[in-house]
Amino acid sequence: MKYIPTIGIECHVQLCTKTKLFSEVDNDARGKEPNSCVSPVDYALPGMLPRLNGEAIRLAILAGRAMNCEINNNSRFDRKHYFYPDSPKGYQITQYYAPIIGSGYVELPSGTRIKIEHAHLEGDAGKLTHFDSYSLVDLNRVDTPLIEIVSMPDIHSAKDAHDYCKELWRLMRYAGVTYGDLYNGNMRFDVNTSVAPEDSKKLGTRTEVKNLNSFRSVERAVEYEIARQTKLLEAGEKVIQETRGWSDATGKTTGQRSKEEAKDYRYMPEPDLPPIHLTEEFVEAESSKLPMMPADYRTKFGGIIANDTMEVLLDYPELMFKLNEIDEKNVKSISNLFASVLLAEEKSAEYLNDLPSAKQLNDLAQMNEKKELSSTAAKEVFLRLFDPQMRGKDTRSIAKELGLIQENDLDALGAIVDTVLAKPETKKAQDDFRAGEEKVIGFLVGQVMKESHGKANPSAVQEILRKKLA
Amino acid sequence: MKVDESTVKHLADLSDFRLNSDEAKRLGGDLENIIKYISQLDELDTSDVEPTYQVFEMENVWRNDEILPQDANCEDLLNLTVETIDNQIKVPKVL
Amino acid sequence: MKIADKKTTATELVKTALKKAKEYADYNIFTFIDEDGALKRAAEIDAAIARGEKVGKLAGVPYALKDNFLSPRGETTASAHILQGFKSPITATAVAKLEAEGAIMIGRTNLDAFAHGSSTENSYFGPTHNAVDFERVAGGSSGGSAVAVALDIVEFATGTDTGGSIRQPASFNGVYGLKPTYGCISRYGVVAMASSTDCIGFFSKTPEDMDLLMSIASGQDPKDMTTLPDYYSEAPRGSLSKLRIGVIKEFDNESVDADIRKALKEKCETLKKKGYEIVELEMPALKYALAAYYIIVPAEVASNLSRYDGVRYGFRSKESENLNDLYLNTRSEGFMPENKRRIMIGNFVLSSGFYDAYFLKAAKARTLIVQEYEKAFLKCDFILTPVSPNPAFKLGEKVNDPVAMYLEDLMSVSLNLAGVPGLAIPAGKTNSGLPVGLQLVGPRRSDKKLIEFSKELI
Repeated sequence: MKYIPTIGIECHVQLCTKTKLFSEVDNDARGKEPNSCVSPVDYALPGMLPRLNGEAIRLAILAGRAMNCEINNNSRFDRKHYFYPDSPKGYQITQYYAPIIGSGYVELPSGTRIKIEHAHLEGDAGKLTHFDSYSLVDLNRVDTPLIEIVSMPDIHSAKDAHDYCKELWRLMRYAGVTYGDLYNGNMRFDVNTSVAPEDSKKLGTRTEVKNLNSFRSVERAVEYEIARQTKLLEAGEKVIQETRGWSDATGKTTGQRSKEEAKDYRYMPEPDLPPIHLTEEFVEAESSKLPMMPADYRTKFGGIIANDTMEVLLDYPELMFKLNEIDEKNVKSISNLFASVLLAEEKSAEYLNDLPSAKQLNDLAQMNEKKELSSTAAKEVFLRLFDPQMRGKDTRSIAKELGLIQENDLDALGAIVDTVLAKPETKKAQDDFRAGEEKVIGFLVGQVMKESHGKANPSAVQEILRKKLA
Repeated sequence: MKVDESTVKHLADLSDFRLNSDEAKRLGGDLENIIKYISQLDELDTSDVEPTYQVFEMENVWRNDEILPQDANCEDLLNLTVETIDNQIKVPKVL
Repeated sequence: MKIADKKTTATELVKTALKKAKEYADYNIFTFIDEDGALKRAAEIDAAIARGEKVGKLAGVPYALKDNFLSPRGETTASAHILQGFKSPITATAVAKLEAEGAIMIGRTNLDAFAHGSSTENSYFGPTHNAVDFERVAGGSSGGSAVAVALDIVEFATGTDTGGSIRQPASFNGVYGLKPTYGCISRYGVVAMASSTDCIGFFSKTPEDMDLLMSIASGQDPKDMTTLPDYYSEAPRGSLSKLRIGVIKEFDNESVDADIRKALKEKCETLKKKGYEIVELEMPALKYALAAYYIIVPAEVASNLSRYDGVRYGFRSKESENLNDLYLNTRSEGFMPENKRRIMIGNFVLSSGFYDAYFLKAAKARTLIVQEYEKAFLKCDFILTPVSPNPAFKLGEKVNDPVAMYLEDLMSVSLNLAGVPGLAIPAGKTNSGLPVGLQLVGPRRSDKKLIEFSKELI
């Protein structure tokens, strides 16, 4: 019997606001001391009330629109209760009954659409570090704004699960709502997987693998779960509904001790925050700030950039935004430089933060196009554009400084060719060429290049030589 | 509604209380009386009535995304707990 | 207040207040007396006056702070064991505003732990005694504050009113007590009981003092997103003549103490004589207010009290080997029985399978109550009702019967559900000499006019 897997994914995205969701302290705790980005609200002193960050509302609108979602005109916050030291208030402020983002879809590079059930705003939890006889609590991450994106159980392969997560990561970064640093947990995935016989109308029993933070582990965990569950069913056994942990090292999921009964979070409308009512005008005004999305670039540059290159470049919104700024005729050559030169560089991550100007890149492409720069020289100049000392400098003057501009002036080249042809050591080659020995043209071109100190455009030289030797 | 031992236990669990049997018995009786009283809402017809969660006319109350000094700093806050190690709050081990 | 029109000093006023506080120590009014701090503040104010500097509207006025307001002066305990040892680094907005005008806190007052109660008997520190009859309850939850004003220890005291916690003790002790419009005074820095009904208010001896306190403490606060834009002082006074005063038919029955009904009738007669129209109102939805209240409030209580776990501040149980024990022990030892009842009821009405039947149902009933008041205020300008069905009861009389205790809140809770203001006013005494209070109820944002009108009832 054939078994069909069904996968639904919940994704937590940390928003890149300056301050936390409910108080005015620094939201960026990277590299800071534990408990150094904590307000009295985060610490949940008695009598503290949440102070909603309006930027989170705006970013939620952008995130929603990036996923082709409805933005709900009416939304509000709710409390989700559980006791654990990572939740100082004893509840998480989330949106359970009326989330801000409604249904929509994400289109994968393959064209498959994955439906979004809804997405909502909520505060993140703190962190515990466990030791043998005690645990330590760091509240820096408490109430970092999150958007939780809930997909429909609409995914049917590990590959699509991978692609969905990756596309979400791209969308959120294009929309500018997150730093998207997976290593630091800016995006985390909870994956629900079940399998059912092909002809079954009902979904199978699902398991949940929580807190995956790479696309590869999502893919591997799903592959593993599909295989494990299929094997169980084939053997006539049952899948237990449970949360399972994933280990990158072993490549396996393992059952975590499940509580007897499902947790009862006792959701309750948050009485400390007034409801959100977004007018169509407000939503439209904010949505208009959404830049072009990956799908838009695929359409716009589909005929110019090869598919493989496109999918590589799409991981870097900064590069696509830049390609969109330069003249369309230069997109092909610059996109190739981005893909083959920039991304191969060790410092490429650093470079991405500070790309050359559109004018610098346009000039570079044109100089290459007009053969003023050889393709080797163009690559060299291209890399020099990232040198902080070259900021603001003209591409041409950089190329000149490096002595990389090719001689294209036909008269000047003609003079050099004449000098070379007058040299006795080229006499034999000239004769041989006239006698029909095609190969020796290379030798002659080489001599001219040498005479020009490498600045001559070799194809122009060849053309002149052919004329003169005809 | 009868508030039996297992209901009291369930509610104590949700509340993170450990009750001895006397306390559980006494609370069980109290809760049963209270639930009986509040259940009189059953007789009220609320079909087509929207719920009210807040009696406050305003919407969209939010602030700017700006870092501001807080009324108590992190040191003040951590001073309130029983024990810290390296700026972290120490709690007994998690089972 | 006093200092403005009397030839006295802040130090004299504070010394007198402190002396009285000690004299009445057996009433168990205070959880903390800040003798040194208060005298120091008084000396500063006297020095400022001597230098000819401008001082605030409450300069040198001694007051008492309900012990659920955060302030670095003394521990903020909310009369609960679980907050023992908690010294707040933060000052509540209301406290900051009063102190900016020169008011001097001489002590923190006793309350039912976390303001859960109607008698101040649920305090970890034991009950406060009634100002008029030592054998009787002070009312609650702001019992200590009411008695501190009634015994003339201080000029005024702060309170919180979630279902009657200012108005009922005010009426049990014969002073003015105001529960303002929901959202009028910032809740920032006040230990939360039920966020959607909690109101900050005051006890005073005169309507004039109440007006002054409101003009100082009210106003929008960026630290409380449920505060209304400033309206109190700007509210148009309007004419007081020709006002129509409603009385609620459903509250005029045998279950209400005869002396209280009599007091209400007498006040109505007085108003009629002054030319005001008395309108009889039928408000059947109010019958369900208490049941709705004891669903909504415990739900919010259970939620708001989730943060008390012994991890970050206050009391932490010592005998805990693991984290689960720490939570269970701290919360089991730290809460009073009434706290536990309300938390467990709250968790019941929110729990899976019961939410719709209880919490949602109560939220819908709340809509009907809000509408009932809106309809009533089409027919009248203010409503005059008893605060509670009975005058102060005996200590211990209801402490083992939570439902009987809840029934004392029958006439006060609907205002909190509707978010409308209510002013408890002294209205004479029962035959046995106990204070009787009545409450004037107005539409939202009518606080100032309500205080103004109460002068007609003196």
